[in-house]
Amino acid sequence: MSRGESFRRILHHLPLVVWLWLLWMLLWGSTSAVVLIGGLLLAGAGAMIFPLPTVLPGVVPRPLWIGALLFHLLADLVRSGVTVAWAAVRHGGRTRSAIMEVPLHVDNDVLITVVAEITTIAPGTVVIEIDRRRRRLYVHTLPVRDLRTIVRRKKETQDLERRVARSVGHRHGPPGRGPRPDPPSDPPPDPPPDPPFDPPSDPTGGTPPDHRGRRR
Amino acid sequence: MTVLRDVVTAVLFLTGACFCLLGAVGLLRFRDTVSRLHAASKAQTLGLLLILVGAAVHRPLGEAPVLLLVALFQLFNAPITSQIVGRTAYRTHAVDRRRLFVDELADRLARDGTPLHEQGGLTPDKEEGGNPDDTDR
Repeated sequence: MSRGESFRRILHHLPLVVWLWLLWMLLWGSTSAVVLIGGLLLAGAGAMIFPLPTVLPGVVPRPLWIGALLFHLLADLVRSGVTVAWAAVRHGGRTRSAIMEVPLHVDNDVLITVVAEITTIAPGTVVIEIDRRRRRLYVHTLPVRDLRTIVRRKKETQDLERRVARSVGHRHGPPGRGPRPDPPSDPPPDPPPDPPFDPPSDPTGGTPPDHRGRRR
Repeated sequence: MTVLRDVVTAVLFLTGACFCLLGAVGLLRFRDTVSRLHAASKAQTLGLLLILVGAAVHRPLGEAPVLLLVALFQLFNAPITSQIVGRTAYRTHAVDRRRLFVDELADRLARDGTPLHEQGGLTPDKEEGGNPDDTDR
């Protein structure tokens, strides 16, 4: 192994080592020499014994967009707490809910995980199923008054996805590829009792995108 | 200064406790498991975070990082838990279908040829959240 290659490998593990080291110090709550050196040794050993694969090849974190994402996250947290508390007090067991399908554009394990996590924190939505192969989230929504709410929540989730993709400089998939989002057509003002909300324009559910041999 | 800090902490503590209480109310009042997850994962998290901020305001600055760590792990782990619980609840018929406006996951599963009622889940349970008529769909 050449010297440059081993250096690159060390550099690759550096963020993990630093995070583990920091965590160690925070948990001990001190910065004495024993904690510092022991933590560094342990972090290095952990990163060496359990080498993790590169999960996000070729991304550039963008601090400003990450800041925007965190700001939205905190705002969402407050809004969602208020929303669900109000629904619990006001409607209780009579609250209507829905399970909606949200097509995603990003095609990366980590990004989909992050989108799913933040969707659960966002107001009124809890992810209950992730279809990795088709890149879809199935989201339980509450409270739902009419189809308009569902359309709005879907759009919010996709906006969230855009923010996540932007914060790591990830390119959105080209428009011709993969499942398309549902057309943002205005829902009928008076929805029929059991409307076919997802028009079966693609009866096979969209051909599964070429997922390059990833596990499902 | 101390008075101001006390007031801020008191307000944050009380608001946080209120949200925790409301989360518990939601846990009691919502009918099915997935709706209860909303109360447990959102109102509860917000309440905890407010209490942590209140504590951070009142304690010496050196203790703030540990509180931040608590908040961080709560934010990481609550969604993961609720996704697993929600998925299991859906697959074991613990979702109250009479309250569902649309269910696009059921449509998807039916289109895939694996409708829910054919999968070997638990039988509709007898507890409060169970729904005896969901095998009709």
